[in-house]
Amino acid sequence: MRSAFVCALLSCVAVASIVLTNHAVELRAAAPGAIRGRVTLRTVVPVNERRPTVAELGTPRERDFSDRLRSVVYLESAPRGAFERIEPGRVVMDQRNETFVPHLLAVTTGTVVDFPNGDPFYHNVFSLSKANRFDLGRYPSGKLKSVQFTRPGIVRVFCEIHSHMNAYILVFSHPFFAVTDDAGRFRIENIPPGTYNVIAWNEGTASEPKPVTVPDGATSEADFTLR
Amino acid sequence: MYSAARKAVKLIPTYNSLPVRTLSPWWLAGLTLAMTSGSVGAAAQSLPSEPIVFGDGRVTIGAEVTGTFACTNSATSTSEVCSDDTGYFNYSDYQHSTLRMLRVDVSTAVKATERLSVLAEVRSEDGERVRPYALYVRLKPWSERAFDIQAGRVPPTFGAFARRTYPSDNLLIGYPLAYQYLTSLRPDALPANADELLRMQGRGWRSSFSVGNAAGDKGLPIASAFRWDTGVQVHGAIRIVDAALSVTTGSLANPLVGDDNGGKQIAGRVSVRPLPGLLLGVSASHSPYLTRAVTRAAGVESENRNYTQTAFGADVEYSRDYYLVRFETIVSDWRLPLVAAPSIRLPLRATSTLVEGRYKIRPGLYAAARLDHLGFSEITGTTRTSTWDAPVTRYEIGGGYSILRNVLLKGSFQYNSRPAGRTQKLKLGALQLVFWF
Repeated sequence: MRSAFVCALLSCVAVASIVLTNHAVELRAAAPGAIRGRVTLRTVVPVNERRPTVAELGTPRERDFSDRLRSVVYLESAPRGAFERIEPGRVVMDQRNETFVPHLLAVTTGTVVDFPNGDPFYHNVFSLSKANRFDLGRYPSGKLKSVQFTRPGIVRVFCEIHSHMNAYILVFSHPFFAVTDDAGRFRIENIPPGTYNVIAWNEGTASEPKPVTVPDGATSEADFTLR
Repeated sequence: MYSAARKAVKLIPTYNSLPVRTLSPWWLAGLTLAMTSGSVGAAAQSLPSEPIVFGDGRVTIGAEVTGTFACTNSATSTSEVCSDDTGYFNYSDYQHSTLRMLRVDVSTAVKATERLSVLAEVRSEDGERVRPYALYVRLKPWSERAFDIQAGRVPPTFGAFARRTYPSDNLLIGYPLAYQYLTSLRPDALPANADELLRMQGRGWRSSFSVGNAAGDKGLPIASAFRWDTGVQVHGAIRIVDAALSVTTGSLANPLVGDDNGGKQIAGRVSVRPLPGLLLGVSASHSPYLTRAVTRAAGVESENRNYTQTAFGADVEYSRDYYLVRFETIVSDWRLPLVAAPSIRLPLRATSTLVEGRYKIRPGLYAAARLDHLGFSEITGTTRTSTWDAPVTRYEIGGGYSILRNVLLKGSFQYNSRPAGRTQKLKLGALQLVFWF
């Protein structure tokens, strides 16, 4: 009886060790990597000016100027299984002093973007982009309207009342993208090992796809120059 | 495209023998179809979509190109199908149909300093020579205050529609009657008596009187949407109140660059925004409007300043979500010398009222409608008492579709009626393509 119990225990330990070992191998094989780097802009796209206010009775109000230094870096094609891992969230694109803040958003499909009006006058956010066409109508200060972006693509956002207001929302069907900081630095996390084409994008200009290999659990570097 | 447009312009005689430049309808229809087709639509993507900026941000250039084409249900001797506006309901100051036109506007803002800018706009209609539309300096004495002084050929002070005449701002294709329809009154000719004035009912496109310039010519609208006046304008805004006052050379109906009567127009406007989306405005204008030559011909040159146009206006705009509603009314009184009996009962009053609205059906697509009426006071002639010009009613329904953000295709149906003139009822269908940056 005692020997039978020892045999059973040893069997269990053996099975458990095999299972755990295999799992560890699996974990090691799936250890994600990252891509980091920098996007350098030779020329920065200037901020949109108002159309000449010839028909107005006076000088239009001062407005904020959004910077155009930020870019988006993304994998051209995502690894298998990436699409099941999307967790759509909720982000905000504010309207302040006749400017969309931030000027650039990158989101996954299904994400809801809130457009609060932070100005003491009407705005009317709309987009005629094929990927996501919408028109939120006119709404006053303090109000918020939202759009769920269900299709991947580049969405150019405007205000119908203030023609100089515009912004970009890049909608991806996978989560492997990053928005650079003002210095152009970026880091895309949790990429399964493999070789991918990586693209940098800024204000309507995209780089040529650059092949980048992500080793098991390590970080690769890729730099881009645009314009 | 410009040279093609020039070739398309033909000088054709019309039944009133007044030479009218108008666009070849087939050329314009082709342009409209081409611009709405996919291939050219794609090419339009490469056209500028934002103002052009250079000189370290000091110079900004924008433009608007508009092609408009309309057909009536009325046949003429030259055209049985798709004829022009035979009733001259939509003719402008320049003796052009506003519904058959290729118009190019180029506007520029030059920021000389943080407080001083020069603004200009030039315009060409139907490929004719380029005309200066606006040219003025804008001075902002205090950078923190919403206070400006503008001098030169300045934007209109009076009314709400006056600064919204650009096709990209106009909900429909036609203009409001008050800003475009030509009454029979003229600045350079006078009716000797009430009978003469009554004979010109519905003939503002070519009225003629016996005193002053006896040649037939266009009459005056209540307010001109096609020319800006020259002078000085002061504008200020505090919280929800916005006000402007101007002293200019011409009159509300007849803006000028050079003075023709020694008088000045004083115009003012105050608008208030008590609620988000609600704008209430009132305007007033007063000026002599007759030329010195015609008052001399009437023997009253010394009293020139008594012959005036005085106008009052009120306007309301409310918008929210997907709809926009506007209302504007203008009352204009003209005083003119009484030359002979039966004398004209003064003042000659014209009253215009319009209601217009827009509803956005889906992104890029909207429907709009306008109901507009222009009425006149009564005078008594030898044999009858009647309004001094024929009252006009116009309704227009239509809509617009944005092919791109800055390429708009509009279509509308317009119905005009008045109880006098050669054409008393007229139906029109119109298409307009607008590109701007």
